[in-house]
Amino acid sequence: MLIPIERLIDGCLHTLREEVLPEVASRAVRGRVWAVLDVLHNLRDRIEESRAPAETEAESAADALRRLAAARRDGADPESAARLEQALAAAPEGPPGARAAALRAALADAIAARPEGLAPPERDALRAHLAAQSLRDLAPLKPSLLAEISKG
Amino acid sequence: MARCLHCGSGMTPLELETHLARFLTGRLGEPVEVRRLERNTEGFSQETFSFDAQLGRETRRYVAKREPVAGLLEPYDLEPEFRVLHGLAGAGVLSPPTPWFSDDPRVLERPFYVMERLPGEVPLPTAGAAGTGPFTPAEREALAGQVAEALARLHAVDWRKRGFDFLGVPSPRRGAAERELARWEERIARAGFPAPPLLADALGWLRRSLPETGEITLVHGDFRLGNWLVDQRGDAATLLGVLDWEMVHLGDPLEDLAWCSCELWRGGTPWAGAMIAPEDFHLAYARASGRAVDPERMAFYRVLAVVKMIAIMLTGIRAFRDGRTSDLRMAIFDHQLPFLFALLALARGWLTGV
Repeated sequence: MLIPIERLIDGCLHTLREEVLPEVASRAVRGRVWAVLDVLHNLRDRIEESRAPAETEAESAADALRRLAAARRDGADPESAARLEQALAAAPEGPPGARAAALRAALADAIAARPEGLAPPERDALRAHLAAQSLRDLAPLKPSLLAEISKG
Repeated sequence: MARCLHCGSGMTPLELETHLARFLTGRLGEPVEVRRLERNTEGFSQETFSFDAQLGRETRRYVAKREPVAGLLEPYDLEPEFRVLHGLAGAGVLSPPTPWFSDDPRVLERPFYVMERLPGEVPLPTAGAAGTGPFTPAEREALAGQVAEALARLHAVDWRKRGFDFLGVPSPRRGAAERELARWEERIARAGFPAPPLLADALGWLRRSLPETGEITLVHGDFRLGNWLVDQRGDAATLLGVLDWEMVHLGDPLEDLAWCSCELWRGGTPWAGAMIAPEDFHLAYARASGRAVDPERMAFYRVLAVVKMIAIMLTGIRAFRDGRTSDLRMAIFDHQLPFLFALLALARGWLTGV
């Protein structure tokens, strides 16, 4: 996720306080909205992102980097393979989000470093990770409320 | 003063009505009273207000579009869009007649234009209860041909004759594709988030695959379900208008066709624009336009469509993250991006054979 949880909660607080509350006429409902604000405000600094998804991504990305390095070594490009191994070694051990981000960036750099496109063995080295990660990222998402958001 | 959700600014609805009435009185040359001002909720980019203008006993219906403080397509410049809409009067492309533009901050604080409010409703590109999309089978059948013809008519506009070369004419051959790719790459870079592997892969493929085109046309840039005004009757449907011209430019007409028929705007159905199978829609467009639907160009613009949507979402996410907007609708893109990356994975063959 690109937006920190604290910023999302701040956005919810702002929307409720500045945009929703002034439009609520019922005292009873206003009381409930204030209660939500109170809960969110106190929750804000007690929440942290779940570590498990980042740990899973980091493990999978590290494996993909190793496979890609092996494919490049087999493809007579030991310098590129060494750079990938260096990137893998340089990735921080933790926290999991920082490690996953570093390995994600290393993979993106490795792809961008081939403007002519990846060779088939290189694609094979990345395929399992990229496919699984895109599905892992989808798995926790809830059904979209875009229709309700648009219609009001 | 607190920002007003209805008017999206420091102005109260009453002040907004008063300023608009003064503006319209000056333009129309007779006293105008503004009534029933309402902020529309559909648009996620520009601020859109609908209102009635009362001239004596006559009521005219208008829409005002105003630059937002921050948003999905920043930096904003409404003037080119206005000039195109204004210049399209009488061109038969279902664009709303758009008589006035102002960048005088004393009127509505930020630049805006006023267009006539066309009849019809805007069906949304969201899944219906039974996964059927927003149209009945009869509506789908009635609408598909009209949409294909409307797109063909738009691409047939003589942009030189209408003076639209101010939009910038792409260089021949690969210029149109190159310019669009550069436009969206630049927006991705400006959002300032590291490109994930699937995006790096897609961008690399797009750079290697720039298609040539022998023709440059007016390109709407956002021609799709969600920007069509439709009269739906259950047993038929009529396309009455095409909205949201803020991405209008000169380029390859197949860019519009790919955007319109891609997975982003299918309303939970497998059909282009929630109407008919994509290949059938391409055939309908080919018949209406007399233009071959080149698969190489379509493949490029299909991937570019997803990259463009990612760029738009990243822009909104950046604006929210940095606190330039507190509009939570920008934040929801953070959990919609995985769908787009999955589309890229699909389009680029990463999901096959796994």
